[in-house]
Amino acid sequence: MSALQTFMLVVDHDKQEAKQIAERVAQDVENKKTTLIEVVQSLGEYINDDDPILRGKAVSYLTAIIRELPAKFLSRQQIQVLTTFFCDRIQDGGAVAGLETLQKLDRFNKPLAEEVARAIFEHFQELQSRSQSQRFQVYQLLNELMLNYRAALHDMGEESLVGIVDLVTGEKDPRNLMLVFSILKVVMVEWDVSNHAELLFDSVYNYFPITFRPPPNDPYGITAQDLKDRLQDCISSNSLFAPYAIPSLLDKLDSTSPNVKRDALNALIACVEAYDPNTVSRYSITIWETLKFEILNAQEEFLSELSLQVLKGIAKRLSEGVTQTSDQLPLAQYLRPITKECSEQLREPQQKQAKPAQQILSSVSSASAAAFTLIIQAVVAPLLTIYQEADGIAKQRALLETLGVLFDSSIKVFGEWTSRDSEVAFENPLLEFKDQFSEIFGQALMGAIKEEVSFRISALKGFLRLSVLRDFFQDNEIGLFVQYLDEILLKEESVGRDDLKKEAITALTEISKHKPRLILDITFPAFVATLPDSTDEADSGYMNTLDVLAQISVEKDIFETLVRRLLSKLNLLLQQEQSGSVEYPRTILLTILYVMNKRKMEEDPSLEFYYDKIVVGLCRSAAATSTSAKAPNNILSDVSVLDILGRVCNLIVRALPRSKQDEIAHNVYTLFTPAEEFQPVPFAPSSTENQRRTMILSTFILAGLPADIQNLPYTTDPNMAALLADLANRSISETDPATQHAFTRHLALLANKFLPKADLPLATSLFYTLLPPNSTASNVTAGTINTLIWLAKGLILRLAPATTDLLTSLLALVSSPDENTSLMTARSFAILLRADDILSATNGANIRLLSKQRVFTTLTPLISARIREVNLSTSNNNQANNNPHIKPAHLTALSGILSTIPPPLVLPELPTLLPLLLQSLDLHTPSSYPVRTATLETLAVIIRDSGVPVLDQTGHVQSLVTRLLQTAQYTPANALPRLRVDALNCLFLLAQPPPPSPAGANAPAIARAGTLSPLLAVKNQVVRALRTVLDDPKREVRKAAVDARGAWLRGVDDAPEEED
Amino acid sequence: MASAVQNSNPTILNVADLPTRLGPAALSKAGTDRVGTLASIFPPSAYSLDCWPTGYSSSDASDEEDVTEEPIDEQEIYDLISSISDPEHPISLGALAVVSLPDIAIKPTLPEVPESVLRTVSVLITPTITHCSLATVIGLGVRVRLEQSLPPRFRVDVRIKEGSHSTAEEVNKQLADKERVAAALENGTLMGVIAKMLETCQ
Repeated sequence: MSALQTFMLVVDHDKQEAKQIAERVAQDVENKKTTLIEVVQSLGEYINDDDPILRGKAVSYLTAIIRELPAKFLSRQQIQVLTTFFCDRIQDGGAVAGLETLQKLDRFNKPLAEEVARAIFEHFQELQSRSQSQRFQVYQLLNELMLNYRAALHDMGEESLVGIVDLVTGEKDPRNLMLVFSILKVVMVEWDVSNHAELLFDSVYNYFPITFRPPPNDPYGITAQDLKDRLQDCISSNSLFAPYAIPSLLDKLDSTSPNVKRDALNALIACVEAYDPNTVSRYSITIWETLKFEILNAQEEFLSELSLQVLKGIAKRLSEGVTQTSDQLPLAQYLRPITKECSEQLREPQQKQAKPAQQILSSVSSASAAAFTLIIQAVVAPLLTIYQEADGIAKQRALLETLGVLFDSSIKVFGEWTSRDSEVAFENPLLEFKDQFSEIFGQALMGAIKEEVSFRISALKGFLRLSVLRDFFQDNEIGLFVQYLDEILLKEESVGRDDLKKEAITALTEISKHKPRLILDITFPAFVATLPDSTDEADSGYMNTLDVLAQISVEKDIFETLVRRLLSKLNLLLQQEQSGSVEYPRTILLTILYVMNKRKMEEDPSLEFYYDKIVVGLCRSAAATSTSAKAPNNILSDVSVLDILGRVCNLIVRALPRSKQDEIAHNVYTLFTPAEEFQPVPFAPSSTENQRRTMILSTFILAGLPADIQNLPYTTDPNMAALLADLANRSISETDPATQHAFTRHLALLANKFLPKADLPLATSLFYTLLPPNSTASNVTAGTINTLIWLAKGLILRLAPATTDLLTSLLALVSSPDENTSLMTARSFAILLRADDILSATNGANIRLLSKQRVFTTLTPLISARIREVNLSTSNNNQANNNPHIKPAHLTALSGILSTIPPPLVLPELPTLLPLLLQSLDLHTPSSYPVRTATLETLAVIIRDSGVPVLDQTGHVQSLVTRLLQTAQYTPANALPRLRVDALNCLFLLAQPPPPSPAGANAPAIARAGTLSPLLAVKNQVVRALRTVLDDPKREVRKAAVDARGAWLRGVDDAPEEED
Repeated sequence: MASAVQNSNPTILNVADLPTRLGPAALSKAGTDRVGTLASIFPPSAYSLDCWPTGYSSSDASDEEDVTEEPIDEQEIYDLISSISDPEHPISLGALAVVSLPDIAIKPTLPEVPESVLRTVSVLITPTITHCSLATVIGLGVRVRLEQSLPPRFRVDVRIKEGSHSTAEEVNKQLADKERVAAALENGTLMGVIAKMLETCQ
């Protein structure tokens, strides 16, 4: 059997084998064992067969061999002969592939390409009746020719244009269309289409709009969007299409389908961007006439937005190259009907269509400086006339807002003072109206009666825009505005929610970015002048002033001036010789803290100054105040002042360079004061209450130091044990709560951050010295509990080896027969994981990621077991009831922990937790309010995050709903509105549709249909019970009840919501 | 409901100008909130010392144990219905001035029995144009909202404001007729429209 016959036998089922045969023959040809002529001749008996399949296989044989030959093997003549041969037989299978192989060869040339193209056009009149893959092959060949021999096709001119269009007409397969669109686009862009524009346009526009939806699991990955993009590129590729494209696309806007309209508008945007400006100009007014309905009577927000984009695009194109405006410009002709229509609509600026008119002006005027100028010239003067004639303040207000929209465009076109982009060649046309604007907006802002808040706010916003607009107002004009704002903030009584004042502050902050000098020169002196010089003159007005100053001091210069002024004010107060309220100095410190917190202190050039004045200076004063009996006043011995001062110090210490921090380490307890003047608190044989109070400062300063700091006092001789023990003892015996708090936190901080890992047993043994293991622990003092908890907190956060033991020991205290001990310990559990300003990540505390999980997984099973035990013993014999506090105490401990655990950790434990939480809701004593509130908060999170199905799996939906309804009812015993609101909030959340989980969204509708909501069974109960809650004496409860009931009426339905 | 929009260009009130509850209580709160910005970064607990977890301090409870009753008043009714959307525009009935505070009244249902807790709420509706055929639907929406949101001792009376509608009498008869209201609420399409109107009431 010859190679040909074998090939024809196997080609259908064994591609590999066929390829090998071809390889062998190709090798023979190459080695001159046989010639190409012989190969062609061997086809003889088959290529004239009647059976097209046989013919195809024979031609494929030749193609396969050619494919295996080296690229340079065939001579030009051979290629020519083969090309002609394939072209003759192009309809037979394999010939197209053969041609594709041949055209890749180096010796293929332009005339041959032409011959191939012609063969394609002539022989594939009935292409669309062939199979998709055959068509694909033909398009691919054509595409290759387009890539490699475009000049040949181009030179064929009309012949190739018409040929290609005829060839592809009727194509429907998306894979083929992707190819067809890209072939056609080349023709549209590069061929002379003037005689065939309509033909070409129709060849692609027939496919508009594309409604293709890819089958599920489409292996080709062609989306409707891919097709839409290519089609759109074709439509917008040549300006000559405009006469056909634009009217047809505008027609499509009559469609009822928003998607079709979206495609049409997107195509219009593309056309406007791509067609030449003259063409765009010709159709500009037609487009406007049609699109205005889409905007004025917007069906869908996105359609109106797209339409606005088209209009803006036209204005942009028509502005190209325009350096001077005149009435004759195409741009002017386009804008004329637009401004006319908008002015018309804006005559009644409160009506609904004024809004779209504003939008139109806004987007068209922001297109270019030329468009902006023309619109301003047409629109502003009439608006000002209407404003003067307006009969009501509401109308004037709407006009101010319209002008504001134009100011926004102006900022887009001309930039702000701080913008970096280059200057615009045009003069801002608004300058013509500058004085009028200044007068109208100033009058509206300051002349209107005080109650017209929203009117004045509109005026303020407009004025602000003009003030930040580049090269518009002079500095003195902006200064006038700043004065108005100062006046509003300093002199005016507050009205309503004080919206105007809030806006005024925002405006000053904004101006401070552009013109900081004006704020420093005008606002600062005015505000600082109102700050009193002594505490007894101080009325509450200084609060406002400091509040405003804090908010506007964003810019560097302003910030620095503010801090310096405030510090000198504070020093004045510290020197005054009487004791008054500390509110004022504290607020000054709070202001400093607020502004420093908003800035990056590490980069502040004046950091040293702040260190000297605040950390060294004020701490020294505090130390001095604490020892001398006759301090001039009580400011620096007040705990709240010390607390804020500590925070400021903490902020500064953190930002300082290492060398300074080393210096500070020595002074943590001495507070920069020589030993003869101030005795450090640790190890002091005796100390006054004032002295011990300085531990607040020491704690904050220590917290700001890095963990690897070397020379902390009392820590290395030989280790920290003595210091820890001393602090613990002082903490236990301390009577002032604030100072005790400082001691416990200090202790926790040392144990957490500064105690070397090897020395951890020191801290653990201290813990067990304070709480001897296996002791009956019947009566432990509050001070001890507090100290224990904080020490444990420091250790647990770094996951010290003793973590589990510490937790178990603490939990054992909750079971104490002494009710006080038990409850106090239970409440302290909330402290364990709560975020703390000292033990925080910002301060570099040692907080391990898994610590929360560890605490939760250790304690939950223990608490759950203990409660079950208590429940059992109460039901079995009544005598065991002599410790009724144990169960509530455990529930309290649990709620304390839960409040600090992130929900994802809680959810897996739901089956264990939910019964416990429900039991917490059953508590009725007034002391259980906090537990119940915390429980409801936890439940709200669980419901929101896990949704009803998860709750349903635990089988507790019914009991949960019943308890929530009970908690929501008003009774004299249930007098706290907050509890009822929280319960109603939980009910509201229950009825919310579940969040679209990734798994649920993909689940087939059949899987979801048929599952009834588990809430349906309780719907009637809830709706009926809530009806009485609607009569709650408290308004906020009623509001929550209305929302919850509405959600149940609306959201809980027999059938799950249908898609679409 | 596919009919053409009947009033395509109604006047819209500014939301900021609508009546809100700003009684003396709210005002005094605004006064104390003055240091709002400062306090927002450092909540009060930052300088009032929190030796105990704040949630457990008893002051919390006594603060809230404010027993003064807050009876349902006109503003509350207004808040319930002003956020309903108009079926034609995505704009609230409050902003369109279809409902307004002075047109809401709460009266004892039985004035001759002083101890009776029964109350009647009457709401007058002002359609945006006098021939608005959707007036009935709006009235029905207001009715449904109030019946869902008020306790059982309240009677609801929704009517078209005199002189604001060409067929006010006809519409009022429809709204007052319990049977017809009940029948209307059985109508799926109608309920769909009303549910859509009420969606914005949150």
